[in-house]
Amino acid sequence: MTAVLQIDDVHKWFGSHHVLDGFCLRVDQGEVVGLLGPNGCGKSTVLNIVCKLLTCEAGQVRLLGEPLSKLGYHARGLVGVCTQHTALYPDLLPAENLHFFARLYGLSEKERKERVTELMHFFELENFASTRVGQLSGGWQQRLHLAVSLIHRPKLLVLDEPTSAVDLEARMELWRLIEGLRDSGTTILLTSHHLAEAQRLCSRVALMQSGKVVAEGSVSELLARIPGQAVAKVQSKNNEAIMQRALDLGWQVRQRAGQMRLLLPRDLSLREIVESLEGTQVSAVSVQPVSLEDAYLELLGESAARSEGLSGA
Amino acid sequence: MHTSFLWAQTRAVAQRLLLEQWRQKRGLIFWAVFPSTMMLLFGLVYAHNDSMRAGLDAAAAGILVGAALFFSCLGGTVAVIAAERERGTLPRLLTTPLHPAAYFLGVVIAQLLLAFMQVVMLYSIALCIGVRYQGSLLLGGVVLLLSVFSYVGMGFFLGARFARRSEEVVVALSAIGVPLLVLGGTFFPLEIMPQGMQAVAQINPMLHMNQAFKGVAAYGKGFLELRFELTFLLVFCGLSLALGIHSYRHLLDVDKSK
Repeated sequence: MTAVLQIDDVHKWFGSHHVLDGFCLRVDQGEVVGLLGPNGCGKSTVLNIVCKLLTCEAGQVRLLGEPLSKLGYHARGLVGVCTQHTALYPDLLPAENLHFFARLYGLSEKERKERVTELMHFFELENFASTRVGQLSGGWQQRLHLAVSLIHRPKLLVLDEPTSAVDLEARMELWRLIEGLRDSGTTILLTSHHLAEAQRLCSRVALMQSGKVVAEGSVSELLARIPGQAVAKVQSKNNEAIMQRALDLGWQVRQRAGQMRLLLPRDLSLREIVESLEGTQVSAVSVQPVSLEDAYLELLGESAARSEGLSGA
Repeated sequence: MHTSFLWAQTRAVAQRLLLEQWRQKRGLIFWAVFPSTMMLLFGLVYAHNDSMRAGLDAAAAGILVGAALFFSCLGGTVAVIAAERERGTLPRLLTTPLHPAAYFLGVVIAQLLLAFMQVVMLYSIALCIGVRYQGSLLLGGVVLLLSVFSYVGMGFFLGARFARRSEEVVVALSAIGVPLLVLGGTFFPLEIMPQGMQAVAQINPMLHMNQAFKGVAAYGKGFLELRFELTFLLVFCGLSLALGIHSYRHLLDVDKSK
């Protein structure tokens, strides 16, 4: 099957900075692929290359099997883009914004009217039909922004941190709408700093570090790579004692940003954990099943350690 | 890209700009009030004074080309670019198949229509206060067309290179525009300026726009009599558009790499 997006061994330099270092990714029809990684790891550069805002110095990007370089302006009709910052015309009404962008994509008048009506309904914008966009709240503006990115029925929807700039309530609503798009078969490439967002929305996740993918798979596949079933976050005045006890119990210990996390081999109750750590001056402890956040920390940490090992060798 | 698609995009951009202008009621009021007030004030001063009455026709032509179209077409274009950058819509447009030429032409067409409305409005007022249009309508139209193209080209240059925020538009226009207006003979005839200023004014394109339109509208001059001003204006228009297109391309490259 031809991938909607196929990125092979892409390299990109900004001056002497090697931003993308052999980046590879495949996105198939109907998939929602999350691209996660720390700031500066090259996520936005990947998206900008896919959207033809940047070119790569080496490697190849294919959309529906065709090299991006050969598609020219046609490529822009295949991709829809929604970024965290809404880019709309505040003096126009929601439907007027949609009509404007539809005309740029060359939709006929009939197609335009149908599509605008359809999107206004899907994104529940009808109640704001006569409100200027500048007077809408941030969450509603972001809904419209998402609708604009779908106006031309793109084959690939690129969402660059789509919920970063909105409040919690609006974020939950946007998640619901993106889930609706996912369930209707829209192919999506998403970047996010909210790991819960990626866990909820993505069928597959690629973890990125220093310009390349270091781990990839479904959320459950990534979770399976953590040496534990649950994570206990522990506070204590005596970290040494906790570490020693955890190691005696065969639990792996991770320390990051002053926080101690114990990877438990199976789901244990709080009571069982507290009893196991008795005598180690624990002041607070919480436990939860492993999440994408743990996989993220574990796998990116592993990759960083490998890189350090290699450079030291 | 098909010409019909390019034209459809051009129309979409022009219509959006005109709709936005229409929706910004306060801006629209100032757009109408500023040149109308100037026309009325200058008209009343000239009409009141017998020795100056003869200069009324030239003053009206100068206000139209030198003040009204300057702020409307040049200021309007700078404001469009600054607003696109400020709202982040320019990078958004770069992700669509919008051709740069369609965007450029869309802005030109919107400014042409606004200029046409301003010409009709101002000359309606001018005719009411006794101004006479002496020359060829066609030649006057050509001068105005070249002036508008020049202003839009300069607007793209200033907007793309200097105006990053809307607030900067007023400052940039005042700093660059007002000296050009004064040296262009918009407010005072060239003859009353000191010799040195007259020499500097000769390289000011606005002087030649003013003199060309005043020549047609106030003195009924023809093509041959105005060939120097028209040639200067034509060359300046070409340079201005080339500079505007170049600046716009540069702006797109800068925004792409962000």
